[in-house]
Amino acid sequence: MDKDLIAKLAHAAGLDKALAEFPDDVALAAEQALGNQGAIAYPTDPTAEPWPPMRAGTGL
Amino acid sequence: MSELHWLTAAEAVREFATRRLSPVELLTALLSRIERLDPKLHAFIRLDADAAMDAARAAEAEIAAGRVRGPLHGVPVGIKDIIDVAGLPTTCHSKILLDNIAAADAAVVAKLRQAGAIILGKLSTHEFAIGGPSFDLPFPPARNPWNPDHHPGGSSSGSGAGVCAGLFPLALGSDTGGSVRNPASACGIVGLKPTYGLVSRRGVFPLSFTLDHVGPLTRTVADNALLLDAIAGHDPADPGSAATSARYFGRMLDRGVRDLRVGFVRHFHELDKPAHPEVTAAVEDAVRVLQAEGAEVRDVTLPSLNEFAAVNRVILCSEAWSIHAPWLRSRPGDYGQLSRQRLMPGAFMNAGDYVGAQRRRFQMIAVIEEAFRDFDVLICASSMDPASRIEDAAETARTYPRQARTPFNITGHPALAMMAGLSSNGLPLSVQFVGRYFEDATVLRVAAAYERGTEWHRKRPPIG
Repeated sequence: MDKDLIAKLAHAAGLDKALAEFPDDVALAAEQALGNQGAIAYPTDPTAEPWPPMRAGTGL
Repeated sequence: MSELHWLTAAEAVREFATRRLSPVELLTALLSRIERLDPKLHAFIRLDADAAMDAARAAEAEIAAGRVRGPLHGVPVGIKDIIDVAGLPTTCHSKILLDNIAAADAAVVAKLRQAGAIILGKLSTHEFAIGGPSFDLPFPPARNPWNPDHHPGGSSSGSGAGVCAGLFPLALGSDTGGSVRNPASACGIVGLKPTYGLVSRRGVFPLSFTLDHVGPLTRTVADNALLLDAIAGHDPADPGSAATSARYFGRMLDRGVRDLRVGFVRHFHELDKPAHPEVTAAVEDAVRVLQAEGAEVRDVTLPSLNEFAAVNRVILCSEAWSIHAPWLRSRPGDYGQLSRQRLMPGAFMNAGDYVGAQRRRFQMIAVIEEAFRDFDVLICASSMDPASRIEDAAETARTYPRQARTPFNITGHPALAMMAGLSSNGLPLSVQFVGRYFEDATVLRVAAAYERGTEWHRKRPPIG
């Protein structure tokens, strides 16, 4: 991933300190985040719901 | 009677009942062993010997007076250091929480005390149950009793190492991507990730809310059922807790596997992440044992391990980032390097990644539920390799993700890993059994049949 883009994304996430002190760790984290591209067969059915479903009145 | 440190919890309770052994005698033997072996193994972050001895003396007096508090009365238990024990620090093995004193017991610890168990201390973990094994943390990583040069698995590393080495018969761990079953596999013991919602997470430091489970680590299947009995149950204070009355998890341990339908997820270790040949042989042998005991075993196909792993990563990283973002922004240097690298990816994922993974998760759950129409249990590999050398970071990084545990964190089905062999270099090999929701007792039943059909549970590490 482009270093400038990583820096912009890290700044947007509030990771300026991590970027200054541990730039390699930030870069690795960004690359890992992108590493899932193409690995998941995301549902194409627009009605496919996420897990867990909203269940009103339970779990509180 | 066996050497005291190798007594199972069930055996200890029987000995207490007949007055042939007292909780003080057992604890004294274990403390002596801990003093001798833990400097090599580092299973403990905090040994609470004085409080444990006070509890043992109280248990001894109560049992002598005929007042048995519960099924674990007088039995020592180790607690992973992400689980709160009132008055003790919950450090999560991290500099971030070195001074974090727990105000109250976690629900599982309160239940253990109700069952009469003795809380022995807090156990090593990968930092925040994700960053390890690491040498840049406030405490050293636990080591494998079969060979201290090797990793004991993680993240419940101290739980696995301590049970394996005979430092205590029972331990609690947590499992978000396999962290109970990995140390069980690496150390050659029994580790169960119960059905999601069966065991309360209240008072357990979260890693990933929808993937986190608390589970028992033991040397035998019967002890695992005993410990699960003590910690399972509905907790209205845990939003994920299931309203179930499931209990008596050991009720079917003697029933065998005759006529059970077992689905063999062969592609996990043959195609998706090709296993070390000795692991493949051990899993195949476990299948033969179940067949010899009367089970009907057929192959079954599930989504690929690589996709399960990707879904797990996106969900785990997203949820973990929401927990750790404030500290990662303000105190990144107080984390170990592995934690920083593993907790920050969530900062670079977006809402679509997370919701998309949760939508795919729903479909994956449906696939496995469909499989359970045809099968009572599944059998598959757990770890694809024996434990790596702990100081070989590259080999650990290569082998650690080569596992088949994350699918069942994603789906929430109960899954148990146990010893299934020894590698040529003397390290444990493992197998995994998976069951339907809330049929944890069936998983334990199959594991017990496998245990009876083999001798692996009698093997002891060459330490002390």
